[in-house]
Amino acid sequence: MTTGFWHQVRAVVDRDLLRERRSGDVLWITIPFGALALLLVPLAVGTDAELLREIGVGMYWVVVMLFGVLVAVGKASRETLPQQDASSLLGLDPAAGFIGRTASSTVLLLAFEVVVGIVAVGLYNIDVLGPGWLILTLSIAAIGLALLGTLTAAIVNSSSAGAALVPLLVAPLSVPLLLGATQAYDGLRYGHAILSWVLLMVAVVVVVAMIGVLAARPLQES
Amino acid sequence: MVTKPRNRWWPWAAIGCSIAVAFTLSMISPADSVQGDLVRIMYVHVPAAWLAYTAFIVTFAGSLWYLLTRSLKADRVAAASAEIGVFFTGLALALGMIWAKPTWGVWWTWDARLTLTAIMFFVYLGYLALRRTTDDPVARASRASVLGVLGAIQIPIVHFSVVWWRTLHQPPSIVRPDGPSIQDPMMLVALIVGVLAFTVVYVSLMVKRIELGHLDDQRRAAEQSPDRPVAGEAVTIPELGAKR
Repeated sequence: MTTGFWHQVRAVVDRDLLRERRSGDVLWITIPFGALALLLVPLAVGTDAELLREIGVGMYWVVVMLFGVLVAVGKASRETLPQQDASSLLGLDPAAGFIGRTASSTVLLLAFEVVVGIVAVGLYNIDVLGPGWLILTLSIAAIGLALLGTLTAAIVNSSSAGAALVPLLVAPLSVPLLLGATQAYDGLRYGHAILSWVLLMVAVVVVVAMIGVLAARPLQES
Repeated sequence: MVTKPRNRWWPWAAIGCSIAVAFTLSMISPADSVQGDLVRIMYVHVPAAWLAYTAFIVTFAGSLWYLLTRSLKADRVAAASAEIGVFFTGLALALGMIWAKPTWGVWWTWDARLTLTAIMFFVYLGYLALRRTTDDPVARASRASVLGVLGAIQIPIVHFSVVWWRTLHQPPSIVRPDGPSIQDPMMLVALIVGVLAFTVVYVSLMVKRIELGHLDDQRRAAEQSPDRPVAGEAVTIPELGAKR
């Protein structure tokens, strides 16, 4: 593989999306599972429509964060050791691999967010406020979660307890994203400024992206 | 070959002396006008929380040092500090809960500082769990160092949570732009001495843990050495025709 950096990124994205198209894991397993989780919440907390409307956005983001980990990590950790060795021998830049896997996870996470979001709006009667800000928040959360999932999958890759360990690592690290997303919606609802929350999410994305790109080679070599 | 551990007495002596001084000061300092004797928990809770931050900052620095130099010594520093930091975070959380029950009426409240501290605790528990997934020191150091850098994102968020959100947890009372909010000098001295005593504990535990980590790496290397004794080595082949 002697192509340029961005060609390599594109190749990784195409490969991951093709793999998803063939397996349909996100479309047929993770998205229905997320929708089911939203359906189960009212059975546990009661069917009071006002209460559900109040907690709906929070529940939506919790489902996105917890199930999004499955989307992000599932794509990134599916690469076996021989496949990784083949990629290295082909000359795939580890940073390009990281960005490519993150980009494909972002696409899948956005799809997950949109479908589960429509389910949440329907079930919990949530008001869709500030469409522009909403799209921005959803996009940043998807990128951030994809970065965290891809980086964590690379960290635990090939270790014996990897699959069990990833959710423990990603869930607490995704808290700034969860806070930013939920507080931004509350800001829109009560007419407060939300720029600081969006900036918090952007800061997390930038920091994790920098760490991921810089650590890609040492992680591959380990 | 595995070197014998050095039997240093000074870390234990330092821990004993500093804890004794801090305990005495916390006992002779006056009771709080509102909280009464409950305030004495703060002489352990606050130093434990400060040392937890310090420990995780050292983990961050050690991880960064490893990524830049690939020195296993740096990884040992990061790992030792994370272990001690998890202990101090757990101690701060437990003491905070014991203090909260009589003061706030609940063991736990969904306050930003409390919740984020608990999350930070889990981040570093994950760090320690990650270290246990492989025996290879280089692979372990490479993976853990990335997480050590990544986990540091939580530290400023936890620290500034009392500023960013309106919380039940009190804001900083010593490091403030307009000076400490603690009026009684004896209370302030007891708190500062408590922090110094815990710092001595931290440094002493670090020295012992780094030494232990070094010995552990030596043991693993000796186990994988080609000269290591193998099973059945003591069994000799009987000579044919030998007299019984």
